[in-house]
Amino acid sequence: MESILKVQGVKKSFGSLHALDGVTLNVEEKKLTILIGPNGSGKTTLINVITGFQKPDEGHIHYGSKEITGWSPQEIYRTGIARTFQIPSMFGKLTVLENLLVAEKNHPGESLTKSIFKRLWAKRETDTIEKATKIMELLGMSEQLSTPASLLSGGQMKLVEIGRALMSDANLYLLDEPVSGVNPTLAHEIFARIIRLREQFGITFFIVEHRLDIALKYVDYVNAMASGKLLAAGPPEQVISDPKVIEAYLGA
Amino acid sequence: MALFAVYLIINIGLNIQQGITGIPNFGILLAVAGGAYITAGLSTRLAVSLLGVRTNLDPVTQNVAVLQLVNPILQSQPLVAIGFLILFIIIGGVAGALMGLISSAPAVRLREDYLAITLLAFGEILNVIGIGYTPLIGGPPGVNLPDVLDWAGRYRFYAGSGVLLLVAIAIYAYAGYIIKTPFGRTLKAIRDNEPVARSLGKDITRYRSTSIMLGSALCGIGGALWALYSVAVTPTYARFDWTFLPWLMILLGGMGNNKGTLIGTLIFVTLNKLILYYNSVFVGILPFDVIWMYYLLLGFITILVLIYRPDGIIPELRTPEKQTPAA
Repeated sequence: MESILKVQGVKKSFGSLHALDGVTLNVEEKKLTILIGPNGSGKTTLINVITGFQKPDEGHIHYGSKEITGWSPQEIYRTGIARTFQIPSMFGKLTVLENLLVAEKNHPGESLTKSIFKRLWAKRETDTIEKATKIMELLGMSEQLSTPASLLSGGQMKLVEIGRALMSDANLYLLDEPVSGVNPTLAHEIFARIIRLREQFGITFFIVEHRLDIALKYVDYVNAMASGKLLAAGPPEQVISDPKVIEAYLGA
Repeated sequence: MALFAVYLIINIGLNIQQGITGIPNFGILLAVAGGAYITAGLSTRLAVSLLGVRTNLDPVTQNVAVLQLVNPILQSQPLVAIGFLILFIIIGGVAGALMGLISSAPAVRLREDYLAITLLAFGEILNVIGIGYTPLIGGPPGVNLPDVLDWAGRYRFYAGSGVLLLVAIAIYAYAGYIIKTPFGRTLKAIRDNEPVARSLGKDITRYRSTSIMLGSALCGIGGALWALYSVAVTPTYARFDWTFLPWLMILLGGMGNNKGTLIGTLIFVTLNKLILYYNSVFVGILPFDVIWMYYLLLGFITILVLIYRPDGIIPELRTPEKQTPAA
């Protein structure tokens, strides 16, 4: 089995708080791995460090054969890792379709000088719109394409975020709580769609999620964190029966 | 008309920065005055050397005498004059872009409110340079520019307004186009949510400085045109006229869209003329000098707009015509 992402001994402190205290974990290719842990255990910090939003104090991060430690978010996005945010983060005044179009990589029309000559980017734009429309169809949101993103419901925003990430053609997707604040029916649906995407495109998901009741039946691997350390990793049944994990979660 | 055209150009420049990219540029004075001053400083010198006028007089300090040699040539050769006009517009744009480059140094590093204050100060610094550094525009007395519209004779006013309007329409069309391109879309995305735009691989720093330079270039063209139209420049380009009024106009019309900028400018310039025109009617009725009425009304309008139409007369975001049922 291939690990697409390797995190080795990563540390990150904010003042005296050790948000990440030597985390080592692997994400297997084409699998759905989740990261669980109580509030403040460092899950989001880990995502931020992997995607370049924060620089680790120590440790190494490898993506495939490349070491990506300390790269900028742009470079990491271009190399094939896309992420979403815990709080639904839309480009509020753009439509759903435009939200997706923005995510296209190396669009020639995005340069000021090339944007003047429409023929340099018109073809690419048409292709991009087609791609975005397909993605939103897969996510069951083709009716909302022209809706301004700020008018969507929380659950729809979560879907648009996933769709926007998919525009990148990345191999690895880091989703930060894709079903938080979403009703159980839609939450199950979101996970079902993630599974479908994984099967269809052979992509890898690494998902931070609190709601084990929903997530556990879909995932291949579970990593459990507490206080900036990895407690356990492995198949779901094994991790949730681990006494250390139970203690961290239930405080027993 | 001329004032409307110049304000429209500057407001479009400001709207690209504030309305579309979300950079609160309170320092557009820097670009406007920069465009005006640099054009003024270079125009006579360029006219002298390009037209081959032989003279030992200094183009800045003995400005009036030099222009007496230059202007007749421009008057008799309309095509050359128009060539100079176009050249000076380009210079104004380049000067504005240069000023934008200077502004963008803090703009990509500072947070919104601090940035606004810093850029406000930049505009003031340029005026101090204009007063203190005489080779630029001759210090406090200012400098005259070659009259590139003199060939129109007694129709100069119409020719001037026409040229200005033409440039304004071209810029309006260009801005309307750029908003719809992927470039404009990315600028709006950065405005709406910077961290997400970063997570999608956008080079925020580069986009922000490009936007400032583009907007400032337009402001510089506006400044240069105003200088050429009024054939004189003094280092008194006021913060009020060239910073707050454009802000008021884009607030009034609605930020982030081209039509709002147009409507805001149109309403404002009309209102402005009306107030000044009818000011004398109120002499004796009001318990204060009527000069203040202008400022009072402007303040009043600003407050009304902010309370009742915070998105302006034409908001960027319109409710979609066909409401789609929620999933």
